[in-house]
Amino acid sequence: MTHLTPDELIDAVEGTIDEARQPHLDTCDVCRQQVADLASVLGEALAVAVPEPSPLFWEHLSQRVRTVIAAEPPAAGGWGSWLRWPVLAPIAALALIVMALAVAFPREARIAPEVATGEASDTTLDDRFTLVADLVGDFDWETAVSAGLTVAPGAADRAVLELTALEQQELTRLLQAELTRAKS
Amino acid sequence: MTHGSAVRNAWVPAVSTGWTVTVVRPIAPETAAVTSFDGMDDASLIAASIEGRRDAFDVIVERHRRTVYQVCYRFVSNHEDASDLSQESFVRAWRGLKTFKGQSALSTWLYRIAVNVCLNRVSVKTPPTDPIESWDRFEDTRVEGAQAALLREERAATVRKAIASLPKKQRATLILRTYHDLSHQQIADILGSSVGATKANFFHALANLKKLLGSEP
Repeated sequence: MTHLTPDELIDAVEGTIDEARQPHLDTCDVCRQQVADLASVLGEALAVAVPEPSPLFWEHLSQRVRTVIAAEPPAAGGWGSWLRWPVLAPIAALALIVMALAVAFPREARIAPEVATGEASDTTLDDRFTLVADLVGDFDWETAVSAGLTVAPGAADRAVLELTALEQQELTRLLQAELTRAKS
Repeated sequence: MTHGSAVRNAWVPAVSTGWTVTVVRPIAPETAAVTSFDGMDDASLIAASIEGRRDAFDVIVERHRRTVYQVCYRFVSNHEDASDLSQESFVRAWRGLKTFKGQSALSTWLYRIAVNVCLNRVSVKTPPTDPIESWDRFEDTRVEGAQAALLREERAATVRKAIASLPKKQRATLILRTYHDLSHQQIADILGSSVGATKANFFHALANLKKLLGSEP
């Protein structure tokens, strides 16, 4: 009969060896010696305790954990953490602006503004700017910042690059008008 | 009576005999909160912690800090690292509370976190694996008293260092099985292996420990 495998030797040390393997263990000096060696070293390991730290250590450890997690976000996560007004309010405001811009500048207009007739296009754009202005007119910069709306670095540059030639012209005109007004 | 007047009256000397003056010290809010969580079971504490009650998590830390520290100490065999690893284990537990499904005991989940923290740390900072000096020098049975105690502690330190120098999975298995009485199945779950692999790891851990300690059969 073959010698005990490592699994079976551990079972033997722990007293859970399969009955079918017990006869081999009873008669095999090699396996019995292995089991005795393992039991011996296990007994020695068991006798070694962890040194008790200072009594002050436990509260110190708790305090360290407390300090770190005080700077952490709440344990809750997933969608539940999004369903709070401080998070929802700026998201809703941002969604409103995006929707207004989508209405004001539909994709077709941005792709091929030159196709549209000049007169109709100007009128439509004016109406759309009015709509945007009505929607966000009271939403000044301070309000946006206090609501958590911030501009990511480079976002303004990217936004300008995505404007059509007509939109860039209009933006330039608006900026120049604003600069002139500020100087005067 | 207002709260302020109650406090002021507490310091007015009692001049009439036979009076019983009781000084009631207002309880700090945070102390009261911790006290209120003391009797809660782990599941309730976890639920409160997920709701953002850090004081509930305080109680979890208080209940399990000794066990977590001991697991970590067995891994690294020194107090400073064990302290850091324990802290990191609890911080990770806080971050991962929402992932705790309650399918195992909180203690088992914390074992899993602590073991993973230790395994990751050990991967970066492996303790020295030099052979431990021979057991022979400790066999003088004539020494008694304080000297004997000192020798026993030296031997214990030798065994701890030997354990801390075992390969990490063997070490984890030996620690969880020997000192925390986890079943092979629980250890397999924690380490993401099979029961057979866990038993094999345990066997090799003991065999290597025997070699490191230099004991002869």
